[in-house]
Amino acid sequence: MNVAVSNNGRRWLWVMFWVLVVFLYAPLVILLIFSFNDRELVSFPWEGFTLRWYQTFLDNAEILGSLRVSLMVAAITAVITTVLAIPASIALVRRRFFAKGLVSGVMLAPLVIPLVVLGTALLILFNAIGIPFSPLTIAIGHIVIALPFAILTLVPRLERIPASLEEASRDLGAGWLTTFRQITWPLMLPAIFSAFLLSFVISFDEVVIASFVAGDEVTFPVYLYSQLRLPRRLPQVIAVAVVILFISAIIVIVSEVLRRVTDRKLESETTVHEEEVATA
Amino acid sequence: MTESGPAISIQSVSKSFGDVRAVDGISLDIAEGEFLTLLGPSGCGKTTTMRLVAGFEEPDEGRIVLRGDDVVGVPPNKREVNMCFQHYALFPHMNVERNIAYGLKLKKVEKGERDRRVKDMLALVRLEGYEQRKPGQLSGGQQQRIALARALVNRPAALLLDEPLGALDVKLRKQMQLELKRIQLELGTTFVYVTHDQDEALSMSDRIAVMNQGVIEQLGRPREVYEQPATPFVADFVGVLNAMDVRVDEVTGEDLVMMVNDRDRIVVPIGPTGTDAGVGASILVAVRPERVELSVGDPATNGGSRLSGTVGQVVYLGTLTQFHVDTSIGKRVIVHHLSDDRSSTVGEGDDVVLTWTREDAAVLTAS
Repeated sequence: MNVAVSNNGRRWLWVMFWVLVVFLYAPLVILLIFSFNDRELVSFPWEGFTLRWYQTFLDNAEILGSLRVSLMVAAITAVITTVLAIPASIALVRRRFFAKGLVSGVMLAPLVIPLVVLGTALLILFNAIGIPFSPLTIAIGHIVIALPFAILTLVPRLERIPASLEEASRDLGAGWLTTFRQITWPLMLPAIFSAFLLSFVISFDEVVIASFVAGDEVTFPVYLYSQLRLPRRLPQVIAVAVVILFISAIIVIVSEVLRRVTDRKLESETTVHEEEVATA
Repeated sequence: MTESGPAISIQSVSKSFGDVRAVDGISLDIAEGEFLTLLGPSGCGKTTTMRLVAGFEEPDEGRIVLRGDDVVGVPPNKREVNMCFQHYALFPHMNVERNIAYGLKLKKVEKGERDRRVKDMLALVRLEGYEQRKPGQLSGGQQQRIALARALVNRPAALLLDEPLGALDVKLRKQMQLELKRIQLELGTTFVYVTHDQDEALSMSDRIAVMNQGVIEQLGRPREVYEQPATPFVADFVGVLNAMDVRVDEVTGEDLVMMVNDRDRIVVPIGPTGTDAGVGASILVAVRPERVELSVGDPATNGGSRLSGTVGQVVYLGTLTQFHVDTSIGKRVIVHHLSDDRSSTVGEGDDVVLTWTREDAAVLTAS
């Protein structure tokens, strides 16, 4: 009998589901609790509710500095990644060209290359060609890892836009640039927005590559990681982490909801309705 | 202006995709104001031919001339033809007015003129007052008409229609056929129409080009294509057809005669393709189901063909009743008869006699 439909099996699936939920979210809940715990050490017992960790991080120049670097790197990454991903996804979906499978494989490869390997490779590369480490080198690394995600966000949307819309535009007298501006871009826009936010979040969260190729100015995740050795600083760092966690979650949820809603809209707009409304 | 010349002239055009020769050296002149249909099964090259004219594909060989100008190498946005796409391809994010005005805006037609022409087009397709609707709010038939308006508003040298009625239900399709023909006559625009539906082709076209495997098998008026199919493929594709493999027993003047038994025989005029078929030759004889007369008694043949047989199956089709008759030549012959009192008395298992005049049969191939 199928495990999913038998009574016992269903109970088991239910249990497994909750085990998984606890496993995934317990650490985050603990983080949340400790960020409000009025104790210098990040551990139990609970010694009362406080907001002082949230207050003190606002006075900490190092934290704020690292946040600023992170925001800048994430913004640069998001802009450049999106700008690169648009033509890449159009080429993958609309064009037939030589060794397309290979090209798409190469573009999506960073998905499966271990970040440590990529970080080491970038470190050696930047050293070899003499580029000094800075927020810019971090951004370059982040573009490499964000690009496949951005492409994979744009491709499904583009596949849902019938190529005949672009042909119709060409047929009616528009050049390819006008066609892109008038037809492809507005119809892709929700996915472009998603790709932008996703790239932003990927860069903002990333610690491995950022720690390999950072110069004097480190990003927030790198800073947070370095503070783990200093227990006194930890509570306020945790408070920031909670703030970041919520902001990231909201960005991802918003972009995902937006993408689904507009996808459904495009779907209903491009399907033909069979029923005829009397017009004569 | 070369008013007397053809609107579109396709000259020895070929196009391959990889190993597949989609269009294989076709030549075709389409006159100004003509309604020409490219008819054929999927993969016959009809859509590719249209896309070559529109400029979405470039030919490997040959020339395509639009009103006297060779357009090979000219991109689609610079060609004086417009297309109606199979699934309409209306821009979903623009309302009806912006969809129709799209081409005019690109041609920098000034606003007053543009508005007037959009309004005229909406009147032509009988959708006045729909300017502000989005395509998603329209039914299939309405979308079809907006797509037509969007193309025609540009006053193209020719309108190319790619199976435009394929997504509509049968009743609406019939209605739109009449509508399309009316619009074409009203504007006098050259229409090039691609379809696999023989009824559409026969009812609307001035001429039909029947295509198969990248070549034009026959080009002619609907009646010619239907009644005098030039090849077995055309005969089989356009309409239902009985094709009978037989051996010539006798050549009498202008006829080939096959003696089946002492009463049954097939008589067929020596057609243009069967002139060298002598006694003993194997030929393919064709006759349309609606030309065959079905009788229960012993009818006069008047120098025509006669086959006896047994009704194997009766299919009621409304106006017509279809009889599948197992005949004395060992082949099942399909007969169409008007559904009247007489046809309703003939049932499965009945012995019948089939007759048709010598002019209604044709030799398709001789070997």
